[in-house]
Formats: sequence, C-alpha cells, structure tokens
Amino acid sequence: MDIRFEGAGVSYGARVALAPVTLQLTEKRIGIIGLNGSGKTTFARLVNGLTKPSIGRVIVNGRDTADAKAVLTDVGFIFQSPQNQIILPVVRDDIAFGLKCRGYKPAEITAKVEAVLQRFSAARLADRRAHELSGGELQLAALCSVLATGPDILILDEPTNQLDLKNRSLVQRLVESLPESAIVISHDLELVADYERVLVFHEGILVADAPAGEAIRRYREIASR
Amino acid sequence: MSTRDLVLSALFAAIIVALGILPPITLGFIPVPITAQSLGVMMAGVVLGARRGTIAVLIVLVLVAIGLPVLSGGRGGLAAFAAPTTGFLIGWVLAAFVTGYLSERLVKSEQSALAQTVGFFFAAMIGGIVVLYACGIVYLAFAAQLGLSKAFLGSMAFIPGDVVKAFVAALVGRAVMVGYPLLPVRS
Amino acid sequence: MKSLFVEGNSAMHRVSARAKLLVLAALGVMLFLTANFLLLALGVLATAGIYFSIGLPARSALARLKPVFLTILIVALFSLAFNPWHIAVVALLRLTALMLFAAAVTATTAIAQFIDEITLLARPLERLGLLRADDVGLAVGLVVRFVPEILDRYRAIREAHAARGIKVRPTTVLMPLIILTLRDADNIAAAIDARGVRRHVN
Repeated sequence: MDIRFEGAGVSYGARVALAPVTLQLTEKRIGIIGLNGSGKTTFARLVNGLTKPSIGRVIVNGRDTADAKAVLTDVGFIFQSPQNQIILPVVRDDIAFGLKCRGYKPAEITAKVEAVLQRFSAARLADRRAHELSGGELQLAALCSVLATGPDILILDEPTNQLDLKNRSLVQRLVESLPESAIVISHDLELVADYERVLVFHEGILVADAPAGEAIRRYREIASR
Repeated sequence: MSTRDLVLSALFAAIIVALGILPPITLGFIPVPITAQSLGVMMAGVVLGARRGTIAVLIVLVLVAIGLPVLSGGRGGLAAFAAPTTGFLIGWVLAAFVTGYLSERLVKSEQSALAQTVGFFFAAMIGGIVVLYACGIVYLAFAAQLGLSKAFLGSMAFIPGDVVKAFVAALVGRAVMVGYPLLPVRS
Repeated sequence: MKSLFVEGNSAMHRVSARAKLLVLAALGVMLFLTANFLLLALGVLATAGIYFSIGLPARSALARLKPVFLTILIVALFSLAFNPWHIAVVALLRLTALMLFAAAVTATTAIAQFIDEITLLARPLERLGLLRADDVGLAVGLVVRFVPEILDRYRAIREAHAARGIKVRPTTVLMPLIILTLRDADNIAAAIDARGVRRHVN
C-alpha cells in the first residue's frame, strides 16, 4: 500500500475540517484517534475519494483520488453503523450486488461470494435477512460485502463503536487477522494499542504521528485538558 | 440522480409501504382512524419536494407492479391496476409531484409557523385532492363507463377524509422541516 | 414481505415475462375496443381458465382477487343505478377479465424477472440521462431492506410515548418516524458510494 497526502486539507467555507497534511502511509496497520470533530473521519474519507481535498491532493497506489472510480477498486470502507451498510434484504444478495455492479459474470459472482463467506466463516449468515442480525453479525456481513470485490486497503471507521463487548472482541480479532492493509479509526484504544503507527488528530490538526504507545499517551494528554 | 437523493426517495417509499402495514392512527379530535398510506403520498411531496417525492411514489408503484403486497390491506400485483379506481393509484405520481412543486414554491424557512403550515396545507390539497381526484375521476369515468358527472359524484364521499389528511400532512411536513429540512427551495 | 409469486410449472410459468406483459397490454387494449357481450364473456372465461390453471389452491386464488373484484363490483352496482344495465355489465366483464389475467401474470412471474424487464425498459432512458437503469433494482432492494427497520422504529416510538404518558397521534409519531428514517440516508448513501456501486454517476 502506498498512500500519499500532499498538502491535502479540507475546508467547508470558513470552517477548516482538516488542516493540510503531508505524509506517506505504507504500514500494514495504521490507527487514527482523536476526539469527536477532530478531523479523523475527514482524513480517512480522503483516502477513498468520498471526500475530495479542498487543497492539495491524495494519491493512492499511484492514482489521484480526484478520480474516485479508480481508487474505489483499491479501497474498501467499513462504517460505524452496522445497519446502514447492508443495503439489500438478504446478506448473500448484498454481497453479490457489489460484484454485479463491477461487471462480474454470474458464475464468477457465485464463486466470489462463496469464497468470501468461507474466508470469514460467515456461511451461516448468507441466507439470513439483514433485519434479523445483531450488530456484530451485520459488521461481519459488511466485511464480506466490501472485501468480496478484493480491495487491498481497508478503512474501518469506528467499527466497534455500536457493538457490545462480545461483538467488539469478534470484530477486533477479525481486523487483526486481515491480510489487507487496514486503517482503523477508533475511540476504542484497545483496538489500536499495538499498531506500529497511530495518527492523533485534534481540532482538525495532525498533532501526533508515532507508534501506538506514544500516540495514545499524547492523546490522553489532550483529552484530559 | 445523486445517491443521496435515490436513498431518500427509496426510504420514503419504504415509509409509505410501512404506513400501509401499520394500523390506522386516530386523530385526537375526530374518533375516526385515518388510513395512512395516501397521507404518505402527500407527505412525500411536502417533505422531499417534487422530484424526490415523485420518485418515491414511482418506486412504490413499481413494488406493486412486480408483485409485492405493499398497498394497505396487503394488496399488490398487476391485478391492483385492473381496478376501476386505478386512476387514484397512478394519480399518486402526479399528486406527489404537484404537492412537492407547490411546497417548494410556497413555503420558505423565513415564514411564520402558521404561514408554512398553510402553505403546506394548500400544496397538499391541490396535489393530494384536486389533482389526484381529477386523475381518479377521469379514469373511473372511462374505465367503468360511468361518465364524468357520476364518477365525480361517487368520489365525493371520500373528500372530507382526505381534507383531514391534507391537514395532517401539513402539520407533519412543517414539523419535519423544522427538525430536518430537506425541501429544496424553488423561487 | 412475501411476494405474490407462486412457484410452479404451469404453461404460464414457462412463458417469458416479456411475452406475458405484452399479452396483458394487448388484452387491455382489445377488451376496451369491443362492447360485445359474448366476446367479453368468453374473455372472462378464458382468463379465468388461465388463472385457475396455474396451480394456486382455489381458496387463496379467490382470496387474492377479493379486494379488486369487490371494487369492480361496487362500481358496477353504482353504475347500474344511473346507466342502462348493459353498460354496467360491459364494464364488469372487461375489468374482471383484465384482473384475472393480470393476477395470473403476477402469480407466475418472479420478482427478479420483473426487475430485469423494467431495467431493460429503462436503459433507453439512461441514454437520455434521466436515470440509471440499475437503480431500479437497487431502489426495490433498499425498500424491502428497510421496511422492517421502519416498523421497529414505529414500535419504539410508540413505546416511548407510552412511557411518557402521551397518546399516539399522527403528528407526534410521524414526525420522529420520518426524521429518524431520513437521517440514515446520508450514511446509507455513503456506504453505497464507498462500494462503487453506482459508478457512472457524479
């Protein structure tokens, strides 16, 4: 993975959501922490082109995010809310839908759906209705849907925020075992506690960029002010 | 159309479907329960505006056509379009459009609560009653060979109920606008 | 939400969705072109024959028709009060035949088949820039997906009312129901866009 921020920042009128940032991300596991409104989600959304930089640019694996379509094949995004990511009634159809929209043929779709279900041992969810699933099961289904199309970078925006303790451990273990590169935004500091690199945001500014231990210490300092 | 607009329309279509499933709600001052689905059509225009409101209703009609029992009472399928009252069903599309269009034109955020409510009420009346009944009556006159005046006569009984619905739509529309404004402004 | 499609292997099941829809449209036109009793009565018999041959048990087959047929009947009776009797009967026969064939098409055509046909029909409109044909399937899926959530939300709002001792009224219930539901739209749209599902749009 190679993500470069070249003076990339985001403002909405006079309000600066993210002050310009210049850095390069190549690590396998990157954490992003900060208080609410600190700019961490804005930063993460720049990576898959969902948010365009008002200044500067973001290059993902050699491609400028200004062309979102190209970047979306490489970057998957898991959101906070478990309910709002599965958009079709039955899990299997939801996974297949993303593949269908990328132009895969029916036989390929079936194969890829089975493969991703196997990968996450989620076969039992395949024919269930999304409405009946717990938060953790929905996040698991969302992981299947997003990873079925094979992105090699995964961004997770507070994936455990709305989950109970049991489901939190489940998702934590899943994220740990992902072969893809993962950028994880989290209030749950345990999730990112042993990441090699953690970014700390505060009031739109990147205030720390260090291994987990040091970054978390810095974050606690800020949070207790 | 933007993804957000598509999702808003689809979610409102889901609300209209839900209103067909939920039991009718009673108004305080009248002991008669109002069946909410046609109310949902007026609210689509009042809350989402002309374009998205119309699309929401179109989505509902597609759901009916493909065989889902989403009309109140569990009705659905192509047979629902064979009824002589089909004009009132297909008329929902024009009703939502007109209600939405008038809402966008007449209601502004700077107005007083009363002015906004009156504006929405007018929009819901013109769209949800005048235009809708025009569609329904014309089709009834033709398909059931009733003749315009008889069709008109037969439909009159339902108007008082729909006036009440227009009033409810106006109140709800205004409350939604205050809490989560979605109405595009059209000058 | 159970669809009105019924599995089976009748002749109607095996005909393509497109053919059935075209025949339905043609039937609609033909029925309204003639006022001949005999022809219309034959039409009703023929369409009834088709409808009752698709494999539905008689009770549910009749139950499906009840709401629409009731409306047709009531309007015909109303018409009888004002018009010569043959006008009312012609209308009754026409709409009944149409209803029977339409119900037969619905019962023998799967939702996926319908969506495929509508998507195909919508493709020319795509070129005009009016819409994306694939959005039809997505919209249908979104509705079926979220109706149960909305029903749950309604029940939660009602319980909250009960807990506060407020009576359930349209204004107090519908406003939070609509706002809470529509607020999700941004998140759902973001999830859809992040998956690159609607690639040819802004």
